[in-house]
Amino acid sequence: MAAELAVAATDLASVQASQLGMKALGAGIAVGLTGIGTGVAEMGIGSAAVGAVAENKDMFGLALLFTVIPETIVIFGLVVALLLLFV
Amino acid sequence: MPKQMSRLLIAGSRDQMVPVVAELYRHNLFHIEDYVDSGAEGYEGFKIGTPLSGASEKSADLIKIRVITNAVSISADDVDTKSSCSMDELQTKIERELPPLEREVEELTGRRSKLEAREKELQQKIVELTPFADIPVDLNLYHGYKRFTSIAGYLSREIVLHVPHEMHISKKEGKNFIVIVYPTERRIEVEKTLQDAGFQSIPIPHDSGSARCSMEFYDGEIAALKNEILEINTKLEDLKKNHASFLVACEELLRAEVDQTEAPLRFATTKQTFVAEGWVPTDRVATVTNSLIHAAEGKIFVTVVPTDLEHDSVPVEYNNPDFAKPTQVLMDVYSRPRYTEVDPTLMISIVFPLFFGLILGDVGYGLVLLILAYGLRRFLKGEEGRQLLDVLRNASISSIFFGIIFSEFLGFPIPGWNPVLYSRHLMSEHGGHGPNIPELMVLSIWIGVAHITLGRVLGIYNHAKQDHGHHRTLAVMANFGWLAVMWGILVAIWSTAAVPLMPVLTGLPALATVPPVGFGLNVGHAISLVLILAGITFIARESVLEVIELPTIVSHVLSYARIVAVGLSSVAIAMVVNFMSITMFIEPQLENLSVVGVIIILVGIVVFVVGHALNTALGILGGGLHSIRLHYVEFFTKFYKGGGKKYVPFGMNRRFTEE
Repeated sequence: MAAELAVAATDLASVQASQLGMKALGAGIAVGLTGIGTGVAEMGIGSAAVGAVAENKDMFGLALLFTVIPETIVIFGLVVALLLLFV
Repeated sequence: MPKQMSRLLIAGSRDQMVPVVAELYRHNLFHIEDYVDSGAEGYEGFKIGTPLSGASEKSADLIKIRVITNAVSISADDVDTKSSCSMDELQTKIERELPPLEREVEELTGRRSKLEAREKELQQKIVELTPFADIPVDLNLYHGYKRFTSIAGYLSREIVLHVPHEMHISKKEGKNFIVIVYPTERRIEVEKTLQDAGFQSIPIPHDSGSARCSMEFYDGEIAALKNEILEINTKLEDLKKNHASFLVACEELLRAEVDQTEAPLRFATTKQTFVAEGWVPTDRVATVTNSLIHAAEGKIFVTVVPTDLEHDSVPVEYNNPDFAKPTQVLMDVYSRPRYTEVDPTLMISIVFPLFFGLILGDVGYGLVLLILAYGLRRFLKGEEGRQLLDVLRNASISSIFFGIIFSEFLGFPIPGWNPVLYSRHLMSEHGGHGPNIPELMVLSIWIGVAHITLGRVLGIYNHAKQDHGHHRTLAVMANFGWLAVMWGILVAIWSTAAVPLMPVLTGLPALATVPPVGFGLNVGHAISLVLILAGITFIARESVLEVIELPTIVSHVLSYARIVAVGLSSVAIAMVVNFMSITMFIEPQLENLSVVGVIIILVGIVVFVVGHALNTALGILGGGLHSIRLHYVEFFTKFYKGGGKKYVPFGMNRRFTEE
């Protein structure tokens, strides 16, 4: 009986640990994939923005702004990761 | 609201033009509306004016000055205003000193460009000679034969020629360089063999002596040329030092004179009279009118023409209290407000530092940025640079304030001081208290809801002010509809689940006493349904297509979560840097010091400094860009159009000259 209880306790501990690991994995995937998404989106905007700035330096502010617009995607990923880890 | 403007019409006889233009220029208030010769009503028979006398000489002088300032690369922003000299003094100085100075600069720059051309030429020669460096033969010997041909070039492999010839080969970096002399009559055979071996021909330079000697000679000559260029540059630098303030003063004086002589090009004139139209801030109309009448001894007619907001494009000048003025630079990056629009500069000047502080709330980083904002002042002398630094200063003060609230100093908790309200320290064993992430998230959502509501309310105000008739009602209702949908969604969330820091409406009476009839919904859900449906109806009445934009309500509000997310990532980086440098490198070595230990401690210090420098840079980018983006994308799209014309008064702010 005592041995069975001990086994159950270690099982529970390992299940909890693996759940924690899953959470961490999920958080990592959330940030990583959204980061890739943001990168892909900013790729096109960034190159176009640099072109526009090369033509007309006054565009710098707007160009920078357009470039950071897809940043929202990775922010959502970061929010999800934080919620997974800490809530 | 932008500054109120009045349209001023000035009419006078042509001989009064000079004093009137001078007076307008002195006031620096009159935004000239350029006269276009399009036969507008009331302007029949008018023509665009001609420049005042002396215009071409003065422009020529101005061009000379600009040539000099370009040659020695001075700009007015680099020169401190020490003493401004009077115009007469400067005028005589220009006549006396400018021509010799001009000659000197012209001579120096002319010589410099000649020397630079020669240097390039020699460098080209060296490039051509380089492949021949290992050929010991006098290069002269390869030219001037009638029966022999000499060629040089690269080969991919070695060859054997069955023709009488003389050949030199040098092998370098896996390439065979070859020079061959052969009888001209056997040309076809030689060329065929070479072609098979992948021959790339290069010309043989016309030079005497061996290539190596020539190259050394040219190198020496280039060094001499470089010295001479350096000498000229120091001379130009001396000139710049001695004459900088004189040159910028000259430039300013002449620019003022050229501006004035060319002003009539923007007026409407007949043979005897001229008419100028333009804009003056309403509170300055009386001053300008009186002084114009005084300057023209009463022989002038000045009147205020009623403004037609529909058709006139009124120039826009900001009208902000002093502390909000630096923020105008952030507005100009986006777009200047229109004349009839609410100018959001004041709101940004308050909210932007708040967002920045919430993201980068750290006393240490705040202090670094504050020092940066004052230290860079020395290097940035232009108007816009100053304004940006002022924005940075305000932001860093806010960052220090929130650093105290969050109890953070370079990622460490401030000793003996617990965070007020919420903690952002990720590792609880150091901060005593774990991070309050759910609360912070909900707080940022509240900020978003408040910010967007403010934007929509301003949108209602703008539409009520700018639009007319039926369209106005629809536009106002649509903005109201967006608000209704947003708050409807919020009420639905409150009625469904309890969220920290938000009202809990789950306890409201259920819709029906029997659960299956009411679907488990309560009164809150009913209210939210009404709000959302009414909102969508209002939006669709203005434009049906707008309905597909409905998801942006959620995404825009959630976008404010970046305030917490970006802030936490910066806290995390700071903590990682601290952990690496102190816990991993410095602390274990301090326990028993050794020579190696000292080196490891130094490495730890380098990691600390570099890591925090990097995080500061990221903090400016993250804090600055994300806060301004929340304004531009989430806030401005609700009400702001922009595209106003900049108010450019005729005149200048004199820095180096006096009247």
